[in-house]
Amino acid sequence: MSINLFQAIILGLFASLSSMPGLGGTSIGNYTLGRPLIGGLICGIVLGDIPTGIMVGAAMQVVYIALVTPGGTVSADVRAVSYIGIPLAMIALKSYGLDPASAEGTALATSFGTMVGTIGTVLFYGTATMNLVWQHMGWAWVDKREYDKLPLVDYVLPWISHICFSLIPTVIMCMAGEPVVNLIKEKLPMDGIPMKTLFTVGIPMKTLFTVGALLPCVGIAILLKQIVRNVLDFVPYLTGFTLAASMGVNLVASTVIAGMFAILIYKLKMLELRKPAAAASSAAAENGWDDDEEDI
Amino acid sequence: MAEKKLSKKALSSGFHRWYYGNLTCFSQEHMQTFGYLCSMLPLCKELYADDPDRMAESMDTYRTFFNTEPQLGAIIVGVTAGLEEARANGAEDVDSETINGLRAGLMGPIAGIGDSLVVGTVIPILLGIAMGMSGGGSPAGAIFYIIVWNLFAYFGMRFLYFKGYDMGTKAVEFLVGDIGTAIREAVTTLGGIVIGAVSATWVSVKTSFALYNEAGEAYMVLQEKLDSVFPGLLTAIFVIFCWWLMAKKRFSPLKVMGLLVVIAFVGVLVGFFNPGLSY
Repeated sequence: MSINLFQAIILGLFASLSSMPGLGGTSIGNYTLGRPLIGGLICGIVLGDIPTGIMVGAAMQVVYIALVTPGGTVSADVRAVSYIGIPLAMIALKSYGLDPASAEGTALATSFGTMVGTIGTVLFYGTATMNLVWQHMGWAWVDKREYDKLPLVDYVLPWISHICFSLIPTVIMCMAGEPVVNLIKEKLPMDGIPMKTLFTVGIPMKTLFTVGALLPCVGIAILLKQIVRNVLDFVPYLTGFTLAASMGVNLVASTVIAGMFAILIYKLKMLELRKPAAAASSAAAENGWDDDEEDI
Repeated sequence: MAEKKLSKKALSSGFHRWYYGNLTCFSQEHMQTFGYLCSMLPLCKELYADDPDRMAESMDTYRTFFNTEPQLGAIIVGVTAGLEEARANGAEDVDSETINGLRAGLMGPIAGIGDSLVVGTVIPILLGIAMGMSGGGSPAGAIFYIIVWNLFAYFGMRFLYFKGYDMGTKAVEFLVGDIGTAIREAVTTLGGIVIGAVSATWVSVKTSFALYNEAGEAYMVLQEKLDSVFPGLLTAIFVIFCWWLMAKKRFSPLKVMGLLVVIAFVGVLVGFFNPGLSY
């Protein structure tokens, strides 16, 4: 598997669309194209191997499941994860001859992709800083009451930032990454190692694979940070864990069971909240949203 | 003077500009300010077509810094669209100060709710389901996510924007009021359960530690012991450990990742971790 210039440019364009302040907008860009699972599909299509792309994307998705919020802090920027990390991880898997569905395959893809993905932070600050130039021009136009130039500032000029900090870095890294991946494979092969080098080579390789297995914990933990406020909030999490790990319920079925709990909680909460109101006026308590509308 | 009423076309244009452009020109300094300005532009143009001074006064209002969770934040943009219309009609109690006070007052709480609801719950739930459908490298899950999320985001934002415009600040009460709170709690629980299932399905931390008797047979395999207590215990412990580092010890995610590399290295050295590679 290899990446030619044309493929690298397409990946670069997707990187421009999908970054956090990306040109696909937040809904389509960052939250759709930027998600590693979707990135895996796109990379799979571009590189001509959809199953591998999806498997690598899904593995990476766990690490970045709760990633970055515009209101929060940036822990990594998705463009590098999805459109540099995933293609290179795919090449690495092919080069090592690993099955992307196997535990080792997932681990290698995860540690590889995450490593590469960390450069996303640099790209993020690069883009944001360059956008200051366009915004500066924007303020000047607003001062002169040339409001029709505002869309230019918001929709068109940022492309220049993205060509510099998304497209070009993606093209360079995808093109240069392939020989690097092959070099790593040559220096750190997985089999046929003479016994004497087993220790020196074995430890870093094993560490690499172990890190790949550990990294998704961080992604899940970032998410838990959002929803766990006290120790009791761990119980829903562990319930889901039990469903899948002990009872072998798959993800779609787990969601159905979770939905049942959600309905129960909603009804209970409404009952609890509506009690005082119900005392005041039982009729108004029945259907709050509709009533609010009529009140105006 | 005839009552000014924003046309459906202008409102729709204002909405689409926010839907697409809320963060396209992002910088640390101004964040969503330019997205906001662009969204208000078609509205102000229609309301003040014949009065460049009032147009300038109105546009200047939206030069103030703005940042919130963009999906849920559509409601704030909708509310200001309604307020701008009221101001154009000469409402005395609506001026730049009230509009900006409202924006500044709402963007914090909406960001808080939006981050935990949209980014922290809805997206991970959809991704969790999608990953469940991706077995064997099937694109079904990715396609499912693309369709469901985008329909939800587009129509959800549209609903919020127009609710905000129609009902003004009352619309926001829906989000922070009783029903909003109940929905949030329910959805958060749903999210928690799904994330638990996702981590049990997709994350696998295993130890290779074992004790051997003289004949070379393993009589104590740690992984089996741990799993007999609670299947996947080690994975759950590592997740909660990472949570504890970030939530209680204020570690940044990158720092936690760095620490995991160290743990992996030491673990491999002492034989706790061994990802069964075939040498």
